[in-house]
Amino acid sequence: MRRFLPILATVLLLAAPAAISAEDLSNIKWETNETDEPFGDPAARKGGTFNTFTTAYPLTVRLMGPNSNDSFAGYNRAFTMDFTLVIRHPNTDNFIPWMATHWSVQDDKKTVYYKLDPDARWSDGKPVTADDYVCTWETMKNEWIVDPFYNQYARDFFSSVEKIDDYTLKVIGTKTSWRPLADYTLWPTPKHVTNIFDGWAKDEKINLTPQVVPGPYIISEMATGERVVFSRVSNWWGDKKHYMQGLFNPEKIVIKVIADEDRAFDYFKKGDLSFYTVNTAKKWANEMDFDAIKKGWVHRRREFVDAPQGMYGFAMNLEFPLFQNKDFRKGLQYLFNFKELNEKQMASAYYRQNSAFEGTEYMNPNVKAYPFDPKLGRDHLAKAGFSKRGPDGILVDEKGRRASFTLTYGSKGLEPHMTIVQQLYKRFGVDMQLSLREPAAAFELGLERKYEMTIISRTSGFYPEPRQYFHSEFKKTTNNNAIFGFENKEVDELIEVFRWDQDRDKRVQAMHRIDEIINDEAFYMPLWFGPYIRFVYWDHVQFPKNYFPKRTQQYTDWWVFWIDQDREKALNEAMAAGKSLGEDPVVDVDPYGVKERLEAAAMTGEAAPATSDGSKSD
Amino acid sequence: MALFELNPITKKRWNRFKRIKRGYYSLMVLLVAVVLSLFSNYLANNRPIVMKYQGELFFPTFKFYDKESLGQDDIYGLTDTEADYRSLKKEWEGTDNWLVLPPIPYNPLENDFTYDTPPPNPPDHQHLLGTDSQGRDVAARLIYGFRISIFFSLLLVLLGETLGVVIGSLQGFLGGWFDILVQRFIEVWASLPFLYIVVIMGTIFVPSFKLLLIVMLAFQWLGMTYYMRTEMYREKTREYSLAAQSFGSSKWRIMFKHLLPNCLTPLVTTAPFAIVGGITALTGLDYLGYGLPAPTPSWGELFDQALKSENRDKIWLVMSPFAAVVSTLLLVTLIGESVREAFDPKQYARYE
Repeated sequence: MRRFLPILATVLLLAAPAAISAEDLSNIKWETNETDEPFGDPAARKGGTFNTFTTAYPLTVRLMGPNSNDSFAGYNRAFTMDFTLVIRHPNTDNFIPWMATHWSVQDDKKTVYYKLDPDARWSDGKPVTADDYVCTWETMKNEWIVDPFYNQYARDFFSSVEKIDDYTLKVIGTKTSWRPLADYTLWPTPKHVTNIFDGWAKDEKINLTPQVVPGPYIISEMATGERVVFSRVSNWWGDKKHYMQGLFNPEKIVIKVIADEDRAFDYFKKGDLSFYTVNTAKKWANEMDFDAIKKGWVHRRREFVDAPQGMYGFAMNLEFPLFQNKDFRKGLQYLFNFKELNEKQMASAYYRQNSAFEGTEYMNPNVKAYPFDPKLGRDHLAKAGFSKRGPDGILVDEKGRRASFTLTYGSKGLEPHMTIVQQLYKRFGVDMQLSLREPAAAFELGLERKYEMTIISRTSGFYPEPRQYFHSEFKKTTNNNAIFGFENKEVDELIEVFRWDQDRDKRVQAMHRIDEIINDEAFYMPLWFGPYIRFVYWDHVQFPKNYFPKRTQQYTDWWVFWIDQDREKALNEAMAAGKSLGEDPVVDVDPYGVKERLEAAAMTGEAAPATSDGSKSD
Repeated sequence: MALFELNPITKKRWNRFKRIKRGYYSLMVLLVAVVLSLFSNYLANNRPIVMKYQGELFFPTFKFYDKESLGQDDIYGLTDTEADYRSLKKEWEGTDNWLVLPPIPYNPLENDFTYDTPPPNPPDHQHLLGTDSQGRDVAARLIYGFRISIFFSLLLVLLGETLGVVIGSLQGFLGGWFDILVQRFIEVWASLPFLYIVVIMGTIFVPSFKLLLIVMLAFQWLGMTYYMRTEMYREKTREYSLAAQSFGSSKWRIMFKHLLPNCLTPLVTTAPFAIVGGITALTGLDYLGYGLPAPTPSWGELFDQALKSENRDKIWLVMSPFAAVVSTLLLVTLIGESVREAFDPKQYARYE
């Protein structure tokens, strides 16, 4: 008996740590959401081939590392990185289960527990487990992926990602957040096939070998320079899930490489592409009267959506002497004629952006862009010391300085618009020189603050990011997004309120005030936006009643469409016989009331409110 | 020292050239066009050539006069904006004041948004060749564009060929190591794809007239060196050259006074085609977007607009620069052809 005691003690002692270290999750309050409607149409038919295009053949199918952020990334990420633990429902804005079934945000607002969906499978059949999420975190931190963005992202956001058991995950963020589910969520990386080594980022085999994915499509064919084909995973686990109903419907997605957007339109008209996004106002206004549309074989839609617009406008470098005078800046703002530009160059297709946080819930609905008022503009310029014209017609001040600056920009498509603005400014005595550079060069000059005036163009996430653009701490360094060189103590304090305050009203108040200040300081002159997606599609492509969901920025965000193969047969027969199906009269669709709001605002001359129902979602 | 001394041989060649009517008339037409283009500001401008206001004569072509000084109102109340001379003309009808507008009363930069439809607008009595996609008068842009491209090309050829002649002649005359080294350098330099390099330069610096000229000059001189070198080698061995040497003439004198005038046939016969090449190169670069910066008027830029898919049905945009390019190049080619014929030592073909 006595001999057993030490053995027993040893066994108990060995077992004890295991028992103590297993986390006690019995007090966790798990949350989920099964009550929102699916945003796909459950009656969608599966099957068929969807033909689309990309402008450049992908240099890699890696998700991280060099060259992974190219135009192909939208497709690549759609079936991998977009499969996060939770996502935001694109119509209701509530969080819904996606790769996780339940979640629990702890009181410290930085620890989140997730219960993983045990049905989730990799495309090779292996189950998706907590190890795979830990693997993502470790990959992000790894220097050998040669991707400083993800290295920093991991550092800035995640303290730790721990496996509690195979289907329970614990994520601890770096700071308390008022949006922990948005900040502290992850996608899985297949641990059983992932091996990062020194030189991983350059390995040719790794570059072009499609990975195992949790999503419904896997790359089945890659013809270099020509096309990439995605094929549907058979018996995909997500088909049974409530929110994935009616999504990811085609059997094959064929992505052709077509370098020129106009050529791609020709391919579409020929029937080689199923779907095409029309991204210039001129094309939408002038080239939508081709044969296939008249015969009803092709439909066109302009769907108004409600998504953040990011920043798009003239940026004045506050370190440039002329722009250090607020009246000079205000003068320039009043001299910009958006209406004429919109009517004469853009077929009246666009709306003026007003806020620096356009399209988000934090934008100030009372802030309006400066209207075109030459008298007011000249008054402000006079206050800045520029009231007399020199012999060449350009305003000069008492010191003999000319009202002259250079606009450095990188978009060739904007050249006609900028030459028109140049002529307009010249009429009122301001000399704007144009310097069109290569896009990458212009972008870098902006980041380095080596410009006088430039055009800033940035996309926005669901929440605005005032800190990276307006906080004074970035003024000391360059190569950041604070390209204006702006410094304002009040704004700095308000930014901190937005970042940390748990009270939504306080945050909204702070952002509204920031919007006001930015508008008053007049160093950012917003241009325009089109809160819609314009697209054309052949008759066999079908959509849910509301087409794309409310929060759509591009069509690869939500795979709600499907191919109706019976209609495809009927269409082919009609086309062979030259028979018309009757031209489709529907063009504009406005399922979320966005167009209504904008037109109402245009009538009253006020800026449009951010959302139709002022919904609160944090 | 003139390159063309009117010695009897040259006179003979000139007469032969004059006899070929198509070449001679082409030269006359081109000269007239080039001289006229110097006066583009009087041909296509929103400013009048001459104006009489309150008894005084004004010549506003190169001067800025505002609305206030001419008693004109402005819709925004800003009377220090430039006078709207086209409206003034109508306002002053029946008064003592008058002004004479150029034949094309638009300058190549101003945007005409007065139509109901957005630009480009088809030709009408106001804009004889229509407007481009920013409402600018096409005829005005053609005229100013011609001035820029012909002068760019002439300068390019003048400077480039001179440089080529000098270096090529030195090569031929001095021979030996100098010739070998320079020839090797030329071969390496000539193997560089010059158009790509111009494009690359254009992406690093914003191209200007001067910069583009310098970059293209760097390659232009190569062509002439081959001809000059061989011509010099041949002339060096002639007896008159040996005679000049025996007088004790300096090397420079022999080269430039005695030998060079006899080597110029390749220069004169290829010069017109070099001019054609210069115009084409500039137009091509402008079309691609790597040439002169906006809003400089140029034919290449008009082509770029015309070939955009939304402008395919606006044929005035493509026909105007097309006709202009074809006629200019035709004129220069005809001249070149006639020059070649005039310089041909064989007056008549002999069949034995």
